[in-house]
Amino acid sequence: MTQRLLPLLLLLLGVALPAAAEQVPASPFFPYPMQVDRLPNGLTVVRVPFKSPGLIAYQTVVRVGSRNEVEPGRTGFAHFFEHMMFKGTKNFPEGEREKVISTYGFDDNAFTSDDITVYHSYGPTAGLEKLVEIEADRFRNLEYSEPSFQTEALAVLGEYHKNAAQPYLKIEEELGRTAFTKHTYGHTTLGYYDDVKAMPQAYQYSRTFFERWYTPDNVLLFVVGDFDDAKLMQAVRKHYGPWDRKVASVNVPTEPPQTKERSVHIDWPQSTQPRHFHAWRTPAARLDTANAAIQAVLADYLVGTTSPLYKELVLDKQLAQDIGSDFGIHRDPHLFSVVAVLQKEENRAAVASAFNAAVKELATGKVDASRVEAIKSNTRYGLLMGMETAKSVATQLSVYAGIYGTPDALARHYQRVSEVKPADLVAFAKKYLTAANRTVLTLTPKTAGGQK
Amino acid sequence: MRSLISRSLALSAALCLGGCATTSQTAPPPEAPAPQAPQQEQAQAPAQPQAPATVPTVPLHRPAPMQLVVQANPASPIVSFRLVFHAGSVDDPKGKEGLTALTADVLSEGGTRNLTSAQLLEALFPMAAELNASTDKELTVFSGRVHKDHLARFLDIFTDVLLAPRLSPQEFERLRARALSDVRNGLRSENDEMLGKVALDALLYQGHPYAHFVGGTEKGLESITLEDVKAHAARVFTQDRLVIGLAGPVDEALQKTVVSRLSALPATGAPRVELPPVPTTAGRALVVQKPTLSTAVSLGYVTPLRRGDPDFFPVSFALSYLGEHRQSSGVLFGELREKRGLNYGDYAYAEHFIEQPGTTYNRTNIARTQQDITVWIRPVVPGNGMFATRGALYFLDRLVKQGIPQDQFELRRGFLLGYSRLWEQTDQRRLGYAIDSLLYGTPDFLEQYRAALAKMTPESVQAAVRRQIRPEALNFAFVTQDADGLAKLLKEQPPSPISYASPKPPELLSEDKAIISLPLPIRADAVQVVPAQTFMEK
Repeated sequence: MTQRLLPLLLLLLGVALPAAAEQVPASPFFPYPMQVDRLPNGLTVVRVPFKSPGLIAYQTVVRVGSRNEVEPGRTGFAHFFEHMMFKGTKNFPEGEREKVISTYGFDDNAFTSDDITVYHSYGPTAGLEKLVEIEADRFRNLEYSEPSFQTEALAVLGEYHKNAAQPYLKIEEELGRTAFTKHTYGHTTLGYYDDVKAMPQAYQYSRTFFERWYTPDNVLLFVVGDFDDAKLMQAVRKHYGPWDRKVASVNVPTEPPQTKERSVHIDWPQSTQPRHFHAWRTPAARLDTANAAIQAVLADYLVGTTSPLYKELVLDKQLAQDIGSDFGIHRDPHLFSVVAVLQKEENRAAVASAFNAAVKELATGKVDASRVEAIKSNTRYGLLMGMETAKSVATQLSVYAGIYGTPDALARHYQRVSEVKPADLVAFAKKYLTAANRTVLTLTPKTAGGQK
Repeated sequence: MRSLISRSLALSAALCLGGCATTSQTAPPPEAPAPQAPQQEQAQAPAQPQAPATVPTVPLHRPAPMQLVVQANPASPIVSFRLVFHAGSVDDPKGKEGLTALTADVLSEGGTRNLTSAQLLEALFPMAAELNASTDKELTVFSGRVHKDHLARFLDIFTDVLLAPRLSPQEFERLRARALSDVRNGLRSENDEMLGKVALDALLYQGHPYAHFVGGTEKGLESITLEDVKAHAARVFTQDRLVIGLAGPVDEALQKTVVSRLSALPATGAPRVELPPVPTTAGRALVVQKPTLSTAVSLGYVTPLRRGDPDFFPVSFALSYLGEHRQSSGVLFGELREKRGLNYGDYAYAEHFIEQPGTTYNRTNIARTQQDITVWIRPVVPGNGMFATRGALYFLDRLVKQGIPQDQFELRRGFLLGYSRLWEQTDQRRLGYAIDSLLYGTPDFLEQYRAALAKMTPESVQAAVRRQIRPEALNFAFVTQDADGLAKLLKEQPPSPISYASPKPPELLSEDKAIISLPLPIRADAVQVVPAQTFMEK
């Protein structure tokens, strides 16, 4: 399935991989010790003992997403390929994998985003060794027929259809297309409709895609829960050790700087609330900068539920049904957005004006330090609240690690957040939240507010 | 915060909450002889028992007022609260549909005597505390989670939400406007899959208190006043309807404090709604017309089967085998999606199912007196709508007639023994199951399920399936653009041939021959077309 909006995302790049074996101690930013090994073939294997008796979460992060779709006509391919990874090998032909998963009762699926593809299984420790075997096998030896490929392409088309009823897919397509002229972030993870419809003809390219990106040095493996580490690593070395491909390099086009404001309008043919987006081009998430941490704080500061804008626009004046940000960490420079779901089309100018005023106030140096502290507190406790199960821990680790490229990215990101100062927000807003660096997206429904 | 652009995803959970009244208040379709079951060359099986004419009302259990359910977990730093009221959309007065859900929203989001709504958000924010309300047909849940560092402060706020709500006119208007938007936009326009499920509910429970959408009808919401909300809270959020769930690092003192504070709720309020029997009318179809690229399909029927019935576990097992929600190992998923490429997924349910956001598991605390068995076909290209529907019926019918092969049976047993453990991995879900067990009278429900799994045989499961699963009893809901065209096909039922983009094995093509002409149990005089923009009007 495609999961475009990853909650909790933020980023820092730079592949500061640890030595061949390393113990990462618990910290205020990730409260569990972590064991990290890097196999000779480049595969990073991360284990986190976690109290979940008899259960483990097993996640494989491939650092490939729609960002890697550089060839024309191949948009949506990373996501499509995620589907193909369930299609079998010589050792476990199509359907055999299902038997293993079913035997133990694993909750088993995957998701793809702009930057990463994550395969996740959650279930009994009793099935862990078998899981290692079948997972390693498919990553090393995936094999599927052209008819199987063509059939799965129709399931992806079905996924597009189910999402197309919501205005968000169209919004995402148009915002990307307008804000990016060169970079692959200009298309969505699902891909353009015409490309999705043409997927059945891309069998040969699918093999190329596998060879390019499904390589041990482009993958991190996370195991969280109740397991015997020595047994696990023995199985991992046995089954993943012979995997020997090297990750390819493709030229993901650099997006040229934006010099003037862009805009795009959507006339939505059905009933929905009007929407208003301001999206600025902002830096990538990297471990050697605070940019991602600042943007994470900035999202709450400007348009979170405790922001003055929320109080004014949503609670007091009720010009908007909701406001917020869809900021998420990315490997390359992406977007920082503020979004309003308007009560009525007539409110658009007032809401846009309020957005502009809030940004201007911040950029000119007026910042509420107590709110920055509250956001940090929310982040700290929110992290703990979100770690109730082995799966939730593994998912957060995987997403951050996949985007930043290092296994301890989650903790390092949250440490960065804890260090954000009010002045950082001011400097960031001044530098990036400018009119010339902005794309404005407006959506007007056929019948505003759903009125007949 | 909830993502703005995926608001419809958040809404989708609400949209699953139930049925709605259609505006085309057509008279109930005339009674007609039940259609014959689809003809398939399959093993001879004994005749099924007579279908019930109605699903009777066997009320849920009534726990003692403010019964306490504790799931102690001293090692956890997070305290969970789960207050479950036996109050839901069935308690909405006629003409005020949506009142219970809106009341819960006004209480949980609208502020308290001491805190405006903005101050409430500001107080919860640094703690990252969660405070939510959700309403279903018969139950409303107020849930809270907080780190133990902030327990005292959170407890004050959480109990004030119920005991001293602010009830401000401004917040009432805001939340009512949002609820109206959820009906006008979210339900009618933005999620075909959920619209199909709601349409099926409307069809199955026509004339019953379950029939209207939990979130309300357009006219119902428009007519609700702040005074209605205030009065309704006192009528239904009462001690005698409340079960108190606590989990995490919970000690005696906290238990006493919570019970003591909630003793300030009204002891009693409105009498419980007496639900009427539900007619088991079969063979109806509702086609909702809206602009869309695809056709969404839901099918099902009301059933007396529910938790506690000896047949419930084996039927749950069988329908998990047919199509466990969003798992790839089900028959429907394998046959319709994987082999034929019809859509994104196909699933089956032994009781009403509402996905808990962020998981593939059913929500807890959506217990219902009267239940339904359903099949969900995710959107297909319109030209394959008939074929996909027939395909789902074909495999359902095959399950009834042929049962589950021994090897598949063992796989499914293993799957459920493991997978069912994932359903109870959070404190909120453990509380939810424990409270549902009180309401259904099924102590240790999941343990009992696993114990039952160990004893089942293919024969015992098939016997239960033959008693409870009735393909001929199905009703059908569709969401599509060419509604009149589809309605015509449903009435006339011409063959629905299919062509594939890739070669298919002979055995699949042979099966297709049976599917393309399979009679759907739909009566030509019981096919309705409803425009989406008038759906859920009153």
